[in-house]
Amino acid sequence: MRTSFVWVVGLIIALVAPLAMANPWNMPRGVTDVSGEIFSLHMIIFWICVAIVVVVFGVMFYALFRFRRSKGAEAANFHENTTVEVLWTVIPMLILIAMAVPATATLKQMYDVSDAELDVMITGQQWRWRYEYLGEDVAFTSNLSTPRTQISGEEAKGENYLLEVDEPLVLPVNRKVRFLLTSDDVIHSWWVPDLAVKQDAIPGFVNENWVRINEPGIYRGQCAELCGIDHGFMPIVVEAMEEEAFDTWMEERKAAAEQEAMGVGREWEFAELMERGESVYGSICASCHQAEGQGAPPTFPALAGNQALLDEPERHISTVIDGVSGAAMPAFRNTLNAVEIAAVITYERNAWGNETGDSMQPSEIAERIADQGE
Amino acid sequence: MGLWKVVKSVLAAFLGVQKEGRRREDFESGKPANFIIVGVIMTLMLVVLVAAVATLAAR
Repeated sequence: MRTSFVWVVGLIIALVAPLAMANPWNMPRGVTDVSGEIFSLHMIIFWICVAIVVVVFGVMFYALFRFRRSKGAEAANFHENTTVEVLWTVIPMLILIAMAVPATATLKQMYDVSDAELDVMITGQQWRWRYEYLGEDVAFTSNLSTPRTQISGEEAKGENYLLEVDEPLVLPVNRKVRFLLTSDDVIHSWWVPDLAVKQDAIPGFVNENWVRINEPGIYRGQCAELCGIDHGFMPIVVEAMEEEAFDTWMEERKAAAEQEAMGVGREWEFAELMERGESVYGSICASCHQAEGQGAPPTFPALAGNQALLDEPERHISTVIDGVSGAAMPAFRNTLNAVEIAAVITYERNAWGNETGDSMQPSEIAERIADQGE
Repeated sequence: MGLWKVVKSVLAAFLGVQKEGRRREDFESGKPANFIIVGVIMTLMLVVLVAAVATLAAR
């Protein structure tokens, strides 16, 4: 009798243990010290729960079986038992306190954003992430790079379907990086399981979090707060590099940003603007206005053959720079630079049968934005 | 009814477990005002205690 009971308990544990350890269902151990601690906490608390279940249900099922009525057992009829009641109140309380102590220690670490070596501002936008390396003059947006044909099912889905971007967030290993999270429109949430970071990005607020990554690699995540129609199409990719490689990357980005800034002053050829505009349109505008400018009315108007757009270049420019108040169109003043804005406006005025011949110079756009700033 | 007895009953109420005999005794010989006053004071003490533990842990 007793041996069969032990066997049953042993069997349950033998079945549950590999399930708990197996990867697809469990949370990842991650690649930071904090994520490792969170994983250990999760497992410890999981096993405490398993032990409680085994003891409570074990006693219950044993009693049900051992003292069954067909064997002549009779119910005991009594009202209270203060000792037992105190025990089943105090023991869970002690277990909870015992779990709270290590959990609080880990929480304290998670909230300690002091002494960061690098600050990255993360801004959620419908539907992309913008990364700004504070004090480094390097900033870019990170857009979904999964082809639309895979999404619509015309093509087989790739390995990292909906988890790939044009420009990943590049971070160094072994350095404490502080994240400052906010949003331009609605609430988003920046979630990368391997870094154990899941932090809301709220318009008007700045939330903080930090990581120190131990292993170079590529870590993928998603927006974790329902934020609109393309919520599932704004993934996060973090590329963790060795420190030296990161410093080289940063130098290259800084040089590129400088060159871009110089590009504002010079005269741009029409073909150059069109080429640049097409790539900006594809990564930024196409998610709403569609690949062929056909839009998705009524929320996202068509740009191809749009008479108002063709007739009123001034309004076209102000719409891109300032957005449309009360509508879905955001202001791109801070998201795109003058070159990108000039290029994309030129492209929109000359693509998909729009043949205005207009071309916009980055210097004009820069001037307009500077005027607004005064 | 002594102060100590009231305190013990309030502690039992915090835990949520009380002997039937003690409960009956409280209801027969105790004054409601005593329990309310002692209860409020001890709740405040509990709040201060928890706050102190939290402050200590946050340091």
